[in-house]
Amino acid sequence: MDELSFRRTIYAEPNTNDPDIIQAAKDDPAKQAFWDDVKAMDAQLAQAMNIPIPENFADKLILRQGINEFTQTRQKRPWYIAMAASVAMVVGISYMTLFAGNNGLANDVFAHVSHEYMAKELAMSSENVTQQALNEKMTTFNGALSEEIGDVVSANYCYLNTVRSLHMIIKGEKGLLSLFVVPQSQSQDLQEEFSNDELVGTSFLLASAKIIIVGNDQEDVSQLQQVAQSAFRF
Amino acid sequence: MFSRNKNQSLSVSTDMMKKQKRYEALVKALHADIFRYAMWLIKDKAIAEDVVQETFLRAWKSLDSLNDEGAAKSWLITILRRENARRFERKQFDLVDIDDVSVADPVSFGDVVLEHRELRRIIGNLSEEYREPLMMQILMGFSGDEIAEQLNLNKNTVMTRLFRARNQIKEALLGDQTKGEQVNG
Repeated sequence: MDELSFRRTIYAEPNTNDPDIIQAAKDDPAKQAFWDDVKAMDAQLAQAMNIPIPENFADKLILRQGINEFTQTRQKRPWYIAMAASVAMVVGISYMTLFAGNNGLANDVFAHVSHEYMAKELAMSSENVTQQALNEKMTTFNGALSEEIGDVVSANYCYLNTVRSLHMIIKGEKGLLSLFVVPQSQSQDLQEEFSNDELVGTSFLLASAKIIIVGNDQEDVSQLQQVAQSAFRF
Repeated sequence: MFSRNKNQSLSVSTDMMKKQKRYEALVKALHADIFRYAMWLIKDKAIAEDVVQETFLRAWKSLDSLNDEGAAKSWLITILRRENARRFERKQFDLVDIDDVSVADPVSFGDVVLEHRELRRIIGNLSEEYREPLMMQILMGFSGDEIAEQLNLNKNTVMTRLFRARNQIKEALLGDQTKGEQVNG
């Protein structure tokens, strides 16, 4: 093998396995020396090429891929989940406007008329509330009682959710009755007649206030309603 | 219906875990080589890092297409070279980019022995057509055939370029020596 092609091959591929090259190097120490020289230079080049890697570079590559995967799965969230969320929201809002609107006050009234709640109110007030005490409380609603409305055992200000009211508990023939005085402006959506499984309620307007009467017995409620209609003055 | 969906998503998530493990193994085994290759190709650390990140991102996306782990290195180099070429396509639209104007400083490769610094300068000064096959051979350990395939050249051309690359390096080293002797003498 001539010198030039030997050198060319070694320069092109210092780690060659070409048997001709290996033989030529064996036969000629000068060629072997040249080969060793090139190998040494290659080792130097390999070291020189070994530049340092930025710190935590592998972690960065893994993390970045993780972030990308995360955003991808977010984008790939199926359309029907978004649809379901929208439907749920619409249903929720309609429920709130339809039921909380119309039945909200009635529900609050019923809640205040529950046995436990009534018991608490009764415990807080002295029995037989006087006409004078009632009238003092009625001034908040710019009204007064011109005559007796019955045996009032409790009269307290109550919040029906956010609506301030005067809650009177009055003895009826067949049980306790509740009478609420609320401002008309905040009770417009309450129906005149309303009821649930146990209780019946009625409401009527007197000038600027609405009177709500709730009890277990329809007759008691009607009777108190008649009395209240003439007793309250606004 | 629901249980079937659950099973499906379960198998999907185990597939994802397998993919994730495979990817992490790939990154750990090859990130250093790939970064060094990018560094020598691009000669700018920040851009090299970006290109390597893009490369591994693409690798993750098409990891399923890599059937033979042994071919991973050349597969990644193929992606890297494509990503780097993409950079030049994009660059046409930029009017002035300071990064492109600045000339890479071989000293910024870091540290080390004076000898290495000199060699690095010489390697960095090789034209890309000589530098790239040399990197593939020394840094990546590719055979002449693999280099030819990567660069889309015939093997003889690759061998000629490798020969010229080493020849230029040798000459540069000798030139330095004679220069050094002249200064000393």
